[in-house]
Amino acid sequence: MRVLVVEDEPTLAAQLSQALKAAGYAVDTADNGRDACFTGEVEPIDAVVLDLGLPLMDGITVLKRWRAKGLTMPVLILTARGDWNEKVAGIDAGADDYLTKPFHMEELLARVRALLRRAAGQASSDLVCGPVTLDTRSGRVILDGQAVTLTGHEYRILAYLMHRKGELVSRTELNEHIYAQDYDRDSNTIEVFVARLRKKLPAGLIETVRGLGYRLTCQG
Amino acid sequence: MPGLTHTGREAGRWRGSLRLRLLAGTLVWIVLSVLVAGWGLARLFEQHVEQQLYAELGTHLNQLAAQLRFDESGRPQLELVLSDPRFARPYSGLYWQVDSIGGRDVGAQPASLRSRSLWDTLLVVPEDTPADGELHAHRVEGPDGEALRVIERVLRPADHPEFPRRLIVAANESLIDAPVARFNGLLAMSLGLLAAGLLVAAWLQVRLGLQPFRRLRKDLEGVKDGHSPIIEGQYPSEVQPLVEEFNGVLARNAEIVARARTHAGNLAHAVKTPLAVLANAAAEADGPLARLVTDQVSLARTQVDYHLARSRAAAAAGTPGQRTALKPVIEGLVRLMMRVHAERELSIVLTDCPGMPAFRGEAQDLQEMLGNLLDNACKWATAKVELRANGSGGDVIVIIDDDGPGLPTEVRQAVFERGVRADEQTPGSGLGLAIVRDLAQLYGGDVELEASPLGGLRVRLRLPGV
Repeated sequence: MRVLVVEDEPTLAAQLSQALKAAGYAVDTADNGRDACFTGEVEPIDAVVLDLGLPLMDGITVLKRWRAKGLTMPVLILTARGDWNEKVAGIDAGADDYLTKPFHMEELLARVRALLRRAAGQASSDLVCGPVTLDTRSGRVILDGQAVTLTGHEYRILAYLMHRKGELVSRTELNEHIYAQDYDRDSNTIEVFVARLRKKLPAGLIETVRGLGYRLTCQG
Repeated sequence: MPGLTHTGREAGRWRGSLRLRLLAGTLVWIVLSVLVAGWGLARLFEQHVEQQLYAELGTHLNQLAAQLRFDESGRPQLELVLSDPRFARPYSGLYWQVDSIGGRDVGAQPASLRSRSLWDTLLVVPEDTPADGELHAHRVEGPDGEALRVIERVLRPADHPEFPRRLIVAANESLIDAPVARFNGLLAMSLGLLAAGLLVAAWLQVRLGLQPFRRLRKDLEGVKDGHSPIIEGQYPSEVQPLVEEFNGVLARNAEIVARARTHAGNLAHAVKTPLAVLANAAAEADGPLARLVTDQVSLARTQVDYHLARSRAAAAAGTPGQRTALKPVIEGLVRLMMRVHAERELSIVLTDCPGMPAFRGEAQDLQEMLGNLLDNACKWATAKVELRANGSGGDVIVIIDDDGPGLPTEVRQAVFERGVRADEQTPGSGLGLAIVRDLAQLYGGDVELEASPLGGLRVRLRLPGV
């Protein structure tokens, strides 16, 4: 899952980015409204953490542009003023949730998780596929009651596939959603990670659709 | 003694009343000029009537002189009776008499020849011998004791120049007094009417002239009650500068409030981002320092939020001319809550009250209060939040119900304290209700917690309405 962090205060941006990466997301950052607007439009972003007070273009305007272009990724806005007018304006511009600064990082992670889950149409924070359960809160994967140890990349791929279970996910899409923009991508590494995942998970769970991509098949 | 102070105030108001001043000035002027005019006219008329009477008497005197003949013994006789019939009617008020001068006369003739109207009395005229051709006027007492106007002349018969005669014609003064009295009555009535008319006109003029002030007062009340942010409309050129000045003061006031608000917002923005950074850094680390930072950051945040809200409201609460419709604010907040709590399928019902009233105050403060209350309700509700707003006796009452766990009676008071939270597990600064109560009180309202019919908590917020 790829999360765009838009925050002009560098330390806070770094903290957000670090916390989100630790939670298993690919993180893109932007420190002004114009870059944020551009990144949101051209990159396949799954969720956005958007500060409203930004240089060059304010957060509300950025959000309105995205929504006008038909982009539907969930957006969590951060407000410092704590004034309800701004929150209502943010929601009316198309935001999905808000947090008032200063906030607890766990709170922010929980909100982002909830937004991604809501966007995927999941009611629970546990993503289940056959015998596999992925707890988005703790980042743990359980197979038949046993914890499975996954690397960061493996977790990201599995989490993305589980958010889109039953759907065909192309290699490019997977690539775009698990790596941030500045990451040196190589689509072959995806195949390597998928192969490793397959070894740790039941056979047939990750189906390869030749020439097109992967599909998570859940049975039982 | 409320009655006394009331009348005292009343008197004070009248003393300072423009209308009274104008009316009193006009009244004095009207009464004075009507009195002077009345006196002058009455004098003029009286003189005129008097002159007329003397002229008439003069005519009678000439007639008398012309008719007077002396017989061979020198006794005076009238050749013809004087034409005016009043000379023949006894005590009619018009008399003539011919006296011999010095009481001497020819033979045993009565001393005087006189008109029949004198009957058996004689006019007693002061001894006086006017030169030839001179007319003398006197006031004497008549046969009935009435006052008479008299003119006399001396006539020397051509054949008996040694027996000069005094020719006297007299008329009752009532011949002057009656028309003068009639005239004066009429004059007093018409002048009275004139004065009354002038007073009515003056009153109307004052009323019309001061009309703009009454409108101004109404407009000012409108501003005070929040119906309008400024005084609108065109006033007479004497009043317009005042209105413009006042509007200027209102605008400056609003600007100061807005600036204070922006400053406060900027300060919050400037302080809160570093606080967020600090809090996050402390959360990463462990140990006593990290805990200290976490606690202090949380305290700082609480303080900033609280004083921010308070200072903003303190600036706004006293400002006149504010009015915020409840409906858009509530609807905006409901949209916000619906979106934020989308996955909980919370039902937030806004009972639409016809003619939903407006709050006499700042939109942001209303949002702050309702936002905090609604946020609480949504946080605790199981499935349902109900909102109702209506006006009651100049107040706005907003009732928010939820079907959550509610609050035990004993903690209902405590949650209004700063930093007290009903549940330490649910995120929040523990400030919401304290801010709501402080804001409501600044506006002269209040907030109460009760048990809700839905099973949870009911919050009743009372605010001044428009």
